[in-house]
Amino acid sequence: MVIYKHLKIKLIATIFLMWFAISMSAEVSPDAGKVLFKNYCASCHSKDMRTAATGPALGGSQSRWADDAALYAWIRNSQGSIKAGQPRAVELWNQFKPTVMTTFDKLTDDEIGSVLAYVNGVYDKTYGQPVAAAQGTGAPVEEKSKMPLYLIILGVLIILSLLLTKIISNLNQIASAREGTYTEKKTIAQILTSKGVITFLIFALIVLGAYTTVNKSTNLGRQEGYQPDQPIKFSHETHAGVNKIDCQYCHDSARRSKSSGIPSANTCMNCHRAIKVGTEYGTAEITKIYASIGYDPTSNTYIEKYESKSEEEIKTIYSKWIGDEYIKSKELAVLNDDGQKVVDEQWANIKKSLTNDQKKKIQGPIEWVRIHNLPDHAYFNHSQHVTVGQVACQTCHGQVQDMEVVKQMSPLSMGWCINCHRQTEVKFKENPYYANYTRYHEELESGKRTKVTVSDIGGLECQKCHY
Amino acid sequence: MKKQIDNIWIGQKDLTRESDFMETATKEFAEDHVEYADMPGHLSGNRRDFLKFLGFGLGAATVAAGCDIPIKRAIPYVVKPDQIVPGVANYYASTFVNGGDYCPILVKTREGRPIKIEGNDLSPITGGGTSARAQAAVLSLYDTNRYTGPKMKDGTNWKDMEWADVDKIMSTALQTSKNIRILTHTVLSPSAKKAMAEFTAKYPGSKVVTYDPVSCSALLDANEKNFGQRAVPGYHFDKAEVIVSFNADFLGTWISPIEYASAYVKGRKINDITKATMSRHIQVESHMSLTGSNADNRILVRPSEQGVAMTHLYNEITGGSMSVAGLNDKAKSSLSKVATELKASQGKSLVVSASNNVNEQLMVNAINHALGNYGSTIDTASPSYQRQGNDKELKTLVDDIKAGTVDLLILNHANPVYDTPFGKEFSEHISKIPNKISFASIPDETTALFDIIAPDSHFLESWGDVEAKKGHFSIIQPTISPLFNTRQGALSLLIWTGSTIADLTKEQPYYEYLKEAWKSSLFAKQSGFATFQSFWDNTIHDGVLNIASSSGPAYSSVQISGEITSPSSSEMEISYFETIQLANGQYAGNPWLMEMPDPVNRTSWGNYLAVPVNFDGVKTMEGFKGLVDGDLVELTIGEKKFTVPVIQQFGQMPGTVSIALGYGRTNAGNTGSNVGININESLTLTPDGPAYYNASVSVSDKTGKEDQFSCVQYHHTIGVRGIDKESGQEINADEAALVFFDYFTGVKGFQGALTDRSVIYTSNVEDLKHSVEHLQERRKAAQHLNEQQIYRGFDHMYELGHHWGMHVDLNACIGCGACTVACMSENNVPVVGKREVSRHHEMPWIRIDRYYYGDVENPNTIYQPMMCQHCDNAPCENVCPVNATNHSSEGLNQMAYNRCIGTRYCANNCPYKVRRFNWLDYTKADIWPANQPKLSEESTPFMADNLTRMVLNPDVTVRSRGVIEKCSFCVQRIQEGKLTAKTEGRMLRDGDIKTACQTSCPTGAIIFGDMNNKESILSTKLESPLNYIALEEINVRSSVTYTMKVNNRDTSFDA
Repeated sequence: MVIYKHLKIKLIATIFLMWFAISMSAEVSPDAGKVLFKNYCASCHSKDMRTAATGPALGGSQSRWADDAALYAWIRNSQGSIKAGQPRAVELWNQFKPTVMTTFDKLTDDEIGSVLAYVNGVYDKTYGQPVAAAQGTGAPVEEKSKMPLYLIILGVLIILSLLLTKIISNLNQIASAREGTYTEKKTIAQILTSKGVITFLIFALIVLGAYTTVNKSTNLGRQEGYQPDQPIKFSHETHAGVNKIDCQYCHDSARRSKSSGIPSANTCMNCHRAIKVGTEYGTAEITKIYASIGYDPTSNTYIEKYESKSEEEIKTIYSKWIGDEYIKSKELAVLNDDGQKVVDEQWANIKKSLTNDQKKKIQGPIEWVRIHNLPDHAYFNHSQHVTVGQVACQTCHGQVQDMEVVKQMSPLSMGWCINCHRQTEVKFKENPYYANYTRYHEELESGKRTKVTVSDIGGLECQKCHY
Repeated sequence: MKKQIDNIWIGQKDLTRESDFMETATKEFAEDHVEYADMPGHLSGNRRDFLKFLGFGLGAATVAAGCDIPIKRAIPYVVKPDQIVPGVANYYASTFVNGGDYCPILVKTREGRPIKIEGNDLSPITGGGTSARAQAAVLSLYDTNRYTGPKMKDGTNWKDMEWADVDKIMSTALQTSKNIRILTHTVLSPSAKKAMAEFTAKYPGSKVVTYDPVSCSALLDANEKNFGQRAVPGYHFDKAEVIVSFNADFLGTWISPIEYASAYVKGRKINDITKATMSRHIQVESHMSLTGSNADNRILVRPSEQGVAMTHLYNEITGGSMSVAGLNDKAKSSLSKVATELKASQGKSLVVSASNNVNEQLMVNAINHALGNYGSTIDTASPSYQRQGNDKELKTLVDDIKAGTVDLLILNHANPVYDTPFGKEFSEHISKIPNKISFASIPDETTALFDIIAPDSHFLESWGDVEAKKGHFSIIQPTISPLFNTRQGALSLLIWTGSTIADLTKEQPYYEYLKEAWKSSLFAKQSGFATFQSFWDNTIHDGVLNIASSSGPAYSSVQISGEITSPSSSEMEISYFETIQLANGQYAGNPWLMEMPDPVNRTSWGNYLAVPVNFDGVKTMEGFKGLVDGDLVELTIGEKKFTVPVIQQFGQMPGTVSIALGYGRTNAGNTGSNVGININESLTLTPDGPAYYNASVSVSDKTGKEDQFSCVQYHHTIGVRGIDKESGQEINADEAALVFFDYFTGVKGFQGALTDRSVIYTSNVEDLKHSVEHLQERRKAAQHLNEQQIYRGFDHMYELGHHWGMHVDLNACIGCGACTVACMSENNVPVVGKREVSRHHEMPWIRIDRYYYGDVENPNTIYQPMMCQHCDNAPCENVCPVNATNHSSEGLNQMAYNRCIGTRYCANNCPYKVRRFNWLDYTKADIWPANQPKLSEESTPFMADNLTRMVLNPDVTVRSRGVIEKCSFCVQRIQEGKLTAKTEGRMLRDGDIKTACQTSCPTGAIIFGDMNNKESILSTKLESPLNYIALEEINVRSSVTYTMKVNNRDTSFDA
């Protein structure tokens, strides 16, 4: 009975949590708030809710306003609140003018509530863990795999075959008894150790072994799901997702070269000359860019003869910067012991990230870990796909804009490539290059052909990729 | 006696149907291809060993499978240069210069690293053509033997030093020296000359001595006498209807071969068969040179008879009466006919000579003057500066050194110990010079005797300018920052002079100097640009600048009196010739050139003594002393004895032998050292300079057999005929396998009856109409024979999009081999070494087959570039068990290396023998060390060093051991061209895609294109009645076509 009782409690808890989750999503939910925040707020407000960006830090904003109504009114039309002389509104205007906050008069109370729920959740670090855990227990497990079904079928088959064996052996027994030649009934052990069974088992083992070997060896070198740590905790989510920077702003050679290009540090500096403190990790990660290229964020200048600076000199420059930022954020007068610890830790991390066995100096390129690797004998050209084929980056790389840490989403196997070439249509009518495929054009015209895929123009041939 | 036969033959083994040759010709691979037992990493074993290895392999594979994939890094730039897009090649205009060798080029760089050289088609001199030497120059940048910085001799060792120390030592030495000499090969750079002039002005006792490794001193002296300018006049081979060359190899090595070849073929191509005209080219020589092999008629004279031969022509044309005693009768009568012909084409003829005798050169000038050639086929307004050497000054320098009066010797890329006839004097007396400094960038025979090495940068790392012909300037710009701590030689001179023309403390001091020099000289002479900056930017972009020159000096007659080469009465004479590959040893350290077979005698990795052959016209070869290819003999020249292998050479005059210069270097790095023999010290010295022959020579009987006979002539032969052992019928030798099936089945194979193969079609220009009819008949018969095809339905595919094809004009191909090296460079083709070449394992994707036809004693030659023919009915494809080679819808015969398991069935079934197998891991592409053998004495295979591998084309897979490779029609270029068109949203234009062989060709013999594009140049070539397909009767439907070879031989000369 104890077990049942236990189950009962679990059941009630589950139902409650499910109701909770559903009710939240219907009205005010931090999840909905996250989406709204990304779409409307993130371009001006920092997503850590703690630091000011174009607009103020949103964390704890509710407490700074007299009541929610005033806050809601401000969000819907900030200039109106200022004109009305709302004290907090005027205070903010004085702080941030002439930057005008966009009006969001279409937002419902629930939506604003959701955004605030998300903001608060992030601010007090409750968003993410507890809710996810609650949903985790509550949500039913969907489409795990079809394995159980197979197992059931297998089980049924085994039972059936055992039954049949039993029947056959019984019938044999009866038959032999009728003939008068009674043989002793075989024990299970005897059956299991019989020649037939052992032969069958060995055969099955070999087939299974070969099957596994072939499968495994085809997969050798493939890295689907590969998600290594990078020297800088660079978040594609922040850059491409929240801030909506175009993929090809940084990976600028994708449109014109075979390789998409890893942005050089000077590309990072286009923005990070201004944005010097990160939303997630503060000074730690962005300082690595500065240490790579030789930029002094304290004086906003590039360091002269950085190449020949010693490690100590570099350490002094960046320790000062990290320390100063710490003092600023904690509103201290001088760097305390905790602060010194933070500085030391961050410096150690910078050094570790920018050096390795081959690269002893801090200066110089950031050595990223390459995630998408094709074997040397396969030729792949980004511009062919991005510019000519107009394939979205996400088709092969997955939803990178949602990835905090990038992960290889596709197997990058030949079968995977071929499959896409079979299915993908060529921009046949749009691109005048294909004009000399006259027969296809005629067929398309007459309706005999509905589409021209990559494979129709030779996209499956060896020497399209191997030479 | 003339022995005319109808056949075409590839060598004497073919003519005599030598049994061993016939046997190997029927096989794709030589017998001895198996592993060497003594090779490191060689595996030998039995069944048990096999099982052990199998077990180990399985285990290793399991372990490997369990390992983590190693972390690969993606390393971006810190600050990315604007012009560089990783993955996209940049091209920079520059100029290839080595002494007098010159070629305006475009350098292809990838991620800042030069990987390929193309011709610059803005140059009016070369028109975009290149040479094998220019193509191979990129590899010399990554030569592992290069000096890594300035060095100083410390006892027997060399120690590194700083540039500041070099300058300090030099300033002391310069202060104390009274007699300073700069010894250099020809310098084409006006700015370097200016630097030298500044230097000699500052130090009064100094003097620049120039010489050429193969001397043209007499030619220059003669022109100085006739025209007052010591320069090579501009020759216009395109304007000449009759060309007479006395031993001048102007298509291969003489002065400016790219320029001359591109002009020469203009008069040789047949565009309209109804009005076919062709220049007539007569070569007077004893050995078969590349130019001689392209000639219509060769007049055979012994080397010592050259002088009287010229005198005879001089007499005939100018009415002189100088003695011609000693000239053979046949040559005499032929030359008389030549004189008649020359006189008939007044002003439209050209006579050139490579003679190094001033009087002979004066006679040539007089002949040209009498024929009215000056002003038409020869112009003196834009003379060439590509040879500036002065042998008399060199001799004086040697005497001064002997006398001990020279205090300081500065060597600028000269290697006098090896490449002058005074090598012995130099090495013996050089210690008398107190201070010796060399700008050599690679150790050579001379640097070993020097005190300080101040290494010059490679031309791909340097700024510079070139004036190869008067008024034709080109720029050298760096395409990579110096790999090592090197400094340009001219800059060193400027620093030692303390030049104030430019600020030498800047980052690129020579650039500043160059700019200043151009500002003060050339900017003033041009009118196209208003500001210097725009003029400068534009010139650097174009790479070339042409300033029209005014009229040149007129001919003034000079009394011809004095010595000419006197005919010798000795039984045997030897002539020395320069090869395209090594020149006089300057290129010996370059593996691509070392492995490139000589176009004429088809040998590589060594110089072979060419001996004459005599054929009775039926079956027997009356060989010279019974010597055959690869026999070792003792060669005695004067007092010196050499042991050399021989090669039988058609067209070699009886009573003469010949051997190439440039081999036998003792200090030329891993590749060039101790390959062949050095005959530079056996040149005949005359008052005018060295003469490239010797009359006191004898050749012994056979003394042995060469171990590694590396002549590729009998490798990969096609279309050879022989007698079938079993049937007694004449068949094509390489079809024995097919015939085998016939015996058992009684039916002919799919490929039909094949006893008469069509590899080469030739014609005399006068019989052209008849020959074309014959060709058309043959083609019709072949096509009629074979209407079937293997891949039904593919024609349907070929109509769509593109159908690639290539055309080779055999009248334009001169056999220079630029395409071979270009292909190696573009497609990462490995260098295999002498031993491997001797075992038929050479790897080039494009080989130039040489065929002889006509008169056996004095034959004509055809060069046929042979590469994968991309057959649409490819016999290689249907025998591959793993489908590693198959056909594309664009008509390409594709090769997927990673699928290939190395059965070599395809190579066996290829009628053109163009598939190459990686017998060993030539490129160190294999991860297992046991598969990385030493190919020669060197520590790593030729292309396997990390520095050398920087030359690899990143768009082409490096093949590992055990796979077949072959010409891909430069598929990487096809794909790139298509992609560019797609990106730009336009149709592909004719000429968008050019293969590496095509762009390298100085004569435009190779045309690549889309057969579906009816407006393409290729399509017009395909419609020509001279066009044919090699082996058309076997119905492989190849995509490569050839033009019938037409000659303009005057048969009356041979009587």
